[in-house]
Amino acid sequence: MDALKTLKTEKVGINFGGLKAVEKLDFEIGDETVGLIGPNGSGKTTFLNIISGIYKPSEGRVIFKGEELNSFTPDAIRKKGISRTFQTNRLCMNLSVIDNLLLGLYCEQKTSWWQAIFNRSLAMQEINRGIDKCFGAISVFNPEIVDRAYELISTIPLIDRRRIEIARAIVGRPKLLLLDEPTAGLNKEETHQMIEDITKIRDSGDRISIIIIEHDMSVISKISDRVVCLNAGQKIAEGSFEEVSQNENVCMAYLGG
Amino acid sequence: MAARLNDKITAALVALGICLLVYISLMSSLLVILIIVALLVVLLTYCEKTGLIDTVFQLMGKNTTLTSVIFGLFIISLPFLVKGNNDLLHIMIIAGIMGIVALGLNFQIGGIGQINFAPAVFYGVGAYTTAYLSVRLGVSPWLGTIAGVCLATLTGVIIGLPALKARGYYLALVTIALQTIFTLMIINIPAVGGPNGIPGIPYYQIFGYSLHSRVEVFGLTLPYQVNYLYLVYIVFALAIVAASRLFKSRYGIAWNAVDQDPVVAATQGINLTSIQLLSFCLGAAFAGMAGALYAHYTGFISNENFDFSQSLILICMVILGGSDNVPGVITGALLLTMIDQKLADYANYRLLMYGLVLIIILLVRSKGLLPKRIRIYGERDTGMSNGDAKLAAGAGGKR
Repeated sequence: MDALKTLKTEKVGINFGGLKAVEKLDFEIGDETVGLIGPNGSGKTTFLNIISGIYKPSEGRVIFKGEELNSFTPDAIRKKGISRTFQTNRLCMNLSVIDNLLLGLYCEQKTSWWQAIFNRSLAMQEINRGIDKCFGAISVFNPEIVDRAYELISTIPLIDRRRIEIARAIVGRPKLLLLDEPTAGLNKEETHQMIEDITKIRDSGDRISIIIIEHDMSVISKISDRVVCLNAGQKIAEGSFEEVSQNENVCMAYLGG
Repeated sequence: MAARLNDKITAALVALGICLLVYISLMSSLLVILIIVALLVVLLTYCEKTGLIDTVFQLMGKNTTLTSVIFGLFIISLPFLVKGNNDLLHIMIIAGIMGIVALGLNFQIGGIGQINFAPAVFYGVGAYTTAYLSVRLGVSPWLGTIAGVCLATLTGVIIGLPALKARGYYLALVTIALQTIFTLMIINIPAVGGPNGIPGIPYYQIFGYSLHSRVEVFGLTLPYQVNYLYLVYIVFALAIVAASRLFKSRYGIAWNAVDQDPVVAATQGINLTSIQLLSFCLGAAFAGMAGALYAHYTGFISNENFDFSQSLILICMVILGGSDNVPGVITGALLLTMIDQKLADYANYRLLMYGLVLIIILLVRSKGLLPKRIRIYGERDTGMSNGDAKLAAGAGGKR
């Protein structure tokens, strides 16, 4: 059955000095959308950082499609098909919209530096194909961004920056998408739009697994097939949104007491 | 159709204007060059504010063949324009050689955003390799040049692999140390001439014709510098094409991403070590090539040609011209070489005045004369109209 799971972690943990940020975490995801919730400092982002290779786990195993990822670097993990966004928008501010999107296709493109210099037509063909793909990906969210493709990211509104970051993550057709608080900083209307955008990815028929971290429970309840709640680096509840939201441990973790 | 013709004419006029500016600067005294630089600064600032500079860049970009032909014809006719004055041709040759190194250095400063304080080391490795091989072992200068490029690149790998684990100030310190070690090494190794350098480096030959020969054309006797001018500018043109293509490729984007945020770059599938090493090695290869050209042009090299001050001048060319922008780097290389060479008359005040010019230019234009620009992939890709593309590029330029 394990082979059918997109990602599985076995007793994964990480220590920062004396602090156990994530502890013996068992987690798995198939072709579904899993909401990862928990109070601030519960280890959600750290967990995503472990999966995407930014942190190496101190214990346990991360298994993606049957292959252990513990020793992999972030770029190798991206090449395997795990893509992510960040809590605070981390687009390259020194690049235009289109260059940021093209970055998402970097590991899919095959032009060598040698070909980039000596075989211009091949390199340009690949870039043009990439641009078409990027425009296709971003148009799903907001076609107007295409008209602003040659503007610097700093001139783009926040909701569209979020969309560009998500489009950058999905343009290379990953198998697993990690979304870290995609609605952070957005107002109610924008949050609603973002829910629609993520639903589009989920229902696109690309069989993409999504792990989404959110503090806004309305987002989690609308998007997630399943919810996992962390507290102090440990899993304290798992199940449907209704089950988890009524779980005693979860209420204690959020409200204290 | 008429608009296209107008575009071509405008692009041709701009290209001719640039050639004229280079020619006037070359022929004039230091004072006139400084006035030209001041006017250039004012003109560029005005063009940037009105968005005119984006239109100019677009026009030049669309008509590269035409503008390349004009620049090519200018270089071909330059020896006649300066009436065979070997001093002026020498300045242009040195500017071309410096331009090649600066374009390579730009892969690090402009690309991955790391200051490399040792470009003169790779420049020196190229020069010393070919000089040693051709003088001591009698190897052909052409083979020596290839060996120089290879060894410079190899040095880039050997030094880059451990050095690129550091970033920012730490990498800067490592490269300063490298520069110091290199200068001390060549002074203390007798095999490479020690403090006396390597004299008598053979000149290039093409099918038995030495490039050190005078040229007789239309009854006019031109100095041997003409041969080297053409050779250096052919290599310079190739370096410009390579650098421009890399800038517009996925590697150019990846370099900028590594500069901005290495963690994000890595999560996009970019291998940080190999992408940074690529920028380091390509830069080293460019510098090695330039070093070999220099050695076989001057016929004599010594440690003074490749010391720390040389590295600083090269860094200034990239930063003052405009890092991560090929036309900017070329402008920086041409301008600073001319100023540097014309300052030779003011022996005691040379460095003082050089420094002063740099400070004033960077105070007025902190991002360099021609700063980094947004990549435009052409009309087809955007689906944008011409006007939209200009507006978009303008928005980027005014950041």
